[in-house]
Amino acid sequence: METLGNLAFGLGVALSWQNLIYCFVGCFLGTLVGVLPGIGPVATVAMLLPFTFGLGPAPALIMLAGIYYGAQYGGSTTAILVNIPGESSSVVTTLDGHQMARRGRAGPALGIAAIGSFIAGCIATLVVAFFAPPLAELALKFGPAEYFSLMVFGLIAAVVLARGSVIKAIAMVCFGILLGLVGTDVNSGTIRFGFGQPELTDGIGFVALAMAFFGITDVVANLEHKDRTDVYGDRLGRVLPSWEDMRVSFWSIMRGTALGSILGILPGGGALLASFAAYMFEKKIAKPPRTFGEGDIRGVAAPESANNAGAQTSFIPMLTLGIPSNPTMALMIGALMIQGIAPGPQVMTERPELFWGLVASMWIGNLMLLVLNLPLIGLWVQLLAVPYRLLYPAIFVFCCIGVFTVDAKIFDIYMLASLSAVAYVLFKLDCEPAPLILGFILGPMMEEQMRRAMMINFGDVTIFLSRPISACFLIAAVAMMLLIAIPSLRAKREVAMQE
Amino acid sequence: MRMVLTAVVSGLVLLAQPVHSQTYPTKPIHILVPYAPGGIADIASRIVGAKLTEAWGQQVVVENRPGGNGFIAMGAGAKAAPDGYTLTMATVGDVAITPALFKEMPYKWDDFAPIGTVSDAPMVWAANANTPYKTVADMLAGAKAQPGRLSVGSPGNGSINQIVLEWTALNTGTQFQHIPYKGGAPAAAALAGGDIPFAILASSSAGPQVKAGRLRVLAVTGAQPSKFNPEWPTLQSQGVKDVDASNWTLLLAPKGTPKAIVDKLQAEVAKILAMPDVKERFAGGGVETIPSTGAELDARVKKTAQQLAVIVEKAKIKPD
Repeated sequence: METLGNLAFGLGVALSWQNLIYCFVGCFLGTLVGVLPGIGPVATVAMLLPFTFGLGPAPALIMLAGIYYGAQYGGSTTAILVNIPGESSSVVTTLDGHQMARRGRAGPALGIAAIGSFIAGCIATLVVAFFAPPLAELALKFGPAEYFSLMVFGLIAAVVLARGSVIKAIAMVCFGILLGLVGTDVNSGTIRFGFGQPELTDGIGFVALAMAFFGITDVVANLEHKDRTDVYGDRLGRVLPSWEDMRVSFWSIMRGTALGSILGILPGGGALLASFAAYMFEKKIAKPPRTFGEGDIRGVAAPESANNAGAQTSFIPMLTLGIPSNPTMALMIGALMIQGIAPGPQVMTERPELFWGLVASMWIGNLMLLVLNLPLIGLWVQLLAVPYRLLYPAIFVFCCIGVFTVDAKIFDIYMLASLSAVAYVLFKLDCEPAPLILGFILGPMMEEQMRRAMMINFGDVTIFLSRPISACFLIAAVAMMLLIAIPSLRAKREVAMQE
Repeated sequence: MRMVLTAVVSGLVLLAQPVHSQTYPTKPIHILVPYAPGGIADIASRIVGAKLTEAWGQQVVVENRPGGNGFIAMGAGAKAAPDGYTLTMATVGDVAITPALFKEMPYKWDDFAPIGTVSDAPMVWAANANTPYKTVADMLAGAKAQPGRLSVGSPGNGSINQIVLEWTALNTGTQFQHIPYKGGAPAAAALAGGDIPFAILASSSAGPQVKAGRLRVLAVTGAQPSKFNPEWPTLQSQGVKDVDASNWTLLLAPKGTPKAIVDKLQAEVAKILAMPDVKERFAGGGVETIPSTGAELDARVKKTAQQLAVIVEKAKIKPD
């Protein structure tokens, strides 16, 4: 009951004119930078930081938070329309979202992404309001051993995610891990695969990799067919999802929200894992007719809900512990500190208007985003009516600008070019990019956490099994491996994959 | 003829210079930051940049060029046109540790014209509250009893935090196990969660956890107690000789920048850092402003670099 009273108090704060305006500004900017690949929320929040000096802490935080979760809404737009995932969490959205666009269902795909995000955002906001402190304790229980086991589980699941041959999926995961290892090793400081290039000491950029394997490869593959003039089908179809679409995807949204809410609280990689996990889970349990990989609306609804729920719950470690779960959060902590507030456990009790105001503003912000995004869908869909011969050079330019704006390095554009060549060859060999991307992101984290766990425990391997959470993940990973390896089950899997 | 021309041109250049620095700045000023947004060098640039814009009516653009051990931003800052329009906000690590770690450097201290020191962030040696270690003496006794078996977290290999660890170990004849993390936040989280017993953190990231009862501060790493938390004792006061380190930032121009411009920048930045509202903003993050002259900065960097190079060598800290 107390929480409801607090929420009402928070709504009072969030509904003041000033806070409403800053919430809208944040959500609007967030949508904008989410749509533009490369310019992420981090750069935007950094640029707006001096502007927040003059605001009070509550409006500052409300606006910056709006940019962050607004970007999650916007990120799906390019993933669906032109197969360019702007953020790592929208990689999964490309799988079915872009296929829907090519079948003239870009509108319903964008619509279900917005509606799913809205529902997920609302539920996750309640999760933050009711369970923030206990969930924060859970996040602290995640030590290096737990992270390692979670990553193992995630990587094995990546193989299940793939559509074609298991061997190729494993090879792609391994190749992804190798690409991810380029750069400075955290534990020893050694530079690996750097070839003396200072640009490579930080590794290969995610944006360049994702654009090469998704956006550019997709365009080149489309251009192979000289006779095909329209890639997106002649009908653009309806703009909003039908009631049937809503009915089919409702439980997917719910399951995605649950997974996203839980995984979102884990600092580092939580939100990304959430979208992958939600997609795989749907693929496994969905009732036929299943058309995953060919434009199944549930394959858009689940991961989009998961990544937005994760975006909301990732505020939990920051608000209750003062520990940022990603670079954008770190900037928000910077903004709060400049206002003279040390983020941490005492914020909730000492500055309740800040905590509850932010929580309430998230709900309002999600509503604003829905209202902002639904009318935009019509506009986006019109974009696909542009002839492909005009659209594809624009996609190329868009990719290059996006890659360049991340760190303002020309080197990254060369990187994009060379990765695109590799990606095209792999595409021709029927190797799927999704397991590679997951390996690229999770592999290095897995290595870092494993070595850290071993160092802290002075080489004792049993740590991974003696800690209960870690043991659970490993057991689940083994179970999943059996699922792939046992031939009888494997036959079943292939049937399932072909549907 | 050519000589006459050269003389005339250089005469013109000499004549033109004072005019330049009087009208400086006539276009936006860029501050290169070798770190991602959110770090102290980034936030310091943005606070100072906003005030410079107010004072001079020219935009100040903060450019984050993270990575490559700071080589990318520092190298670009060293090679930028020496006209006062491209400055670099570095931290002590970039000018006093990195040069000791790497054989081949794309920049050296002499490539820069120092403008002044900007901010100073105290660091603390913290322990998880559930560990039995209450003082530095407890910890050193523990380290002597089981050499190399006590883990100490830091924000990364070659960080000033790691230097404090190795410096302390050298001066007390103890051994610890260094656990590097990817930045201060994960290290603080690992310490708060009890993955590791100790970590060397910025006092601003330890403060809230101390209030919440998760962490205990054993010592501050500077020679003087922190202005913000005078109750925390220093390492030196607890018997660790000489150790004196904090994470400070400094503003640089490329070498060859006209003295008048460097002086103008120094004067304005020092004025900004003395403003009560600026001090308050930095203080919010547990950071002090430390305005200085270029000569003072030059002396401080040279002294620190010499000191730390000895530790890097003795402790065999290596990037690879």
